[in-house]
Amino acid sequence: MRKYIEIFKSQLQLDAAYNGWFWANAVASVIGLLIAFSFWHAVYRHTTQIANMNLPKMISYVVIAMILGNYVSGVGNRLSESIRSGEVAIELMKPYDLLLKLIWLDLGSKVSASVRNSLPLLVIGYAFLGVQAPVSLAGGALFAVSAILGVLIGTQFDLIIGVLAFWTVNVWGLRVLRTGILSIFTGALIPVTLFPAWLLRISEVLPFQSMVYTPVAIYTGAIPFQAVGMTLLIQTIWLIGLYVLVRLIWSVALRKVVIFGG
Amino acid sequence: MTVWRYARLYLEFVKQVLKVWLEYRVDFFIGALSTIVIQFASLLFVTVVFEHIQQLNGWSFYQILFIYGIAATGRSIHLIFFDNLWTLGWQYIRTGNFDRLLIRPINPLFHLIADRIQQDGVGQLAIGLVVLIVAATHDGTVWTPASLLLLILLILSSGVIFSAVNLFFATLSFWMVDSLPVMFATFSLSDFARYPLTIYNKGIRVLLTWIIPYGFTAFYPAASILEPAKFGLMALITPLVAAICSVLAYLFWNVGLRAYTSTGN
Repeated sequence: MRKYIEIFKSQLQLDAAYNGWFWANAVASVIGLLIAFSFWHAVYRHTTQIANMNLPKMISYVVIAMILGNYVSGVGNRLSESIRSGEVAIELMKPYDLLLKLIWLDLGSKVSASVRNSLPLLVIGYAFLGVQAPVSLAGGALFAVSAILGVLIGTQFDLIIGVLAFWTVNVWGLRVLRTGILSIFTGALIPVTLFPAWLLRISEVLPFQSMVYTPVAIYTGAIPFQAVGMTLLIQTIWLIGLYVLVRLIWSVALRKVVIFGG
Repeated sequence: MTVWRYARLYLEFVKQVLKVWLEYRVDFFIGALSTIVIQFASLLFVTVVFEHIQQLNGWSFYQILFIYGIAATGRSIHLIFFDNLWTLGWQYIRTGNFDRLLIRPINPLFHLIADRIQQDGVGQLAIGLVVLIVAATHDGTVWTPASLLLLILLILSSGVIFSAVNLFFATLSFWMVDSLPVMFATFSLSDFARYPLTIYNKGIRVLLTWIIPYGFTAFYPAASILEPAKFGLMALITPLVAAICSVLAYLFWNVGLRAYTSTGN
């Protein structure tokens, strides 16, 4: 009997570990929301408008951007872990395209995360923090399209970070580096329109603001209706461009695998 | 002398780590750069916001930077020297490696901590010091040798509080196998400490002062120097909090250690 109780206990510990991560992320997200909420309330204590945004609009932007920002990366971790463990060599022999497989795995976990993590955060946002609904029904639909494009652009960029595991063992450092760059330029922390002119100029020629800023600005109405078509086009171009770049880097990296193989 | 012996041992551990750093120079560079970029992102955020406002709840840009600088340097002490606490569950207890530490004739906690020196913290320390210097020379404080010494003491206390809180929650691994999620969730509370606690509501302030004392890792020490009339006493309380946290965490670690050995039998 004793051994079965041990088995029972081990499964409890396993589940607690996974559920543990769910709750840990939930706590961290709620803390992030509370900090942003308090911070922006303090910012608006002596002013009513910042870059043509009032407080409710800013709160809406920040909360939606924070939630969307959780989705721009993820697939790179799967790739780098597969490279570091050497599993990639076996994976390459299997009858599927490894990158596509990883992307679909990643999308699966993002869909489940949107129910498990993002929905509760959205409810908190709408119920307690004063997040506004999308500017219009059509605006909401276009936001959804733009957000999906943004996540796909983020996925391609993340694959580039993942492939770099072929060249460095400090994968953790690379991830932190990526997080830093993304938090500045995607607009996940702050609308890029608040940037000083020189920084805005840099941001405009990079793909990052297409990941978070563009969809959320469509949501809040900061990008006017007639300009949405153009921004969706820009997003599509970035997606295709990064896709081609990923394939190029991947083929170079694969040659390296062959060399390792002897 | 035990202290002397442990100091010499620690140096031996450091030598090994330095060899690894020299071997993997690109990785060292990436690690240092990564923490710099993360810090830079937060600083940029504050700078951009202050392009549009003069003060945040009565605190000026350089005062906010000063709080931020103390948080960053305190955190870097924890990151460089005590980073291995994060790995107790998944790299030592789950794999059984912890038994290796127990059979050595040195304190297992010392061994655990000395097993790793986190290179990525070096970048954070550098940027934290730069921010502190920039803030300290612009926020109107008059510096004396005594107040500089106080600042160093407060930063060390900040690092100790970060580490003690982490040690406390890492110890839970002795019962849970891996308490990393709990550590992660608790650590995310420290993000509150980057801004003046006065912008938060009462519940959050009480939590960060009396329960998980991250308020003493940045805001209270900074405020004791910036506004000595109102917060001066905090300069005394901060090292005291650091000492109490360390003692509590170490006692709890010892309880955990006993629980662990008994399940091993």
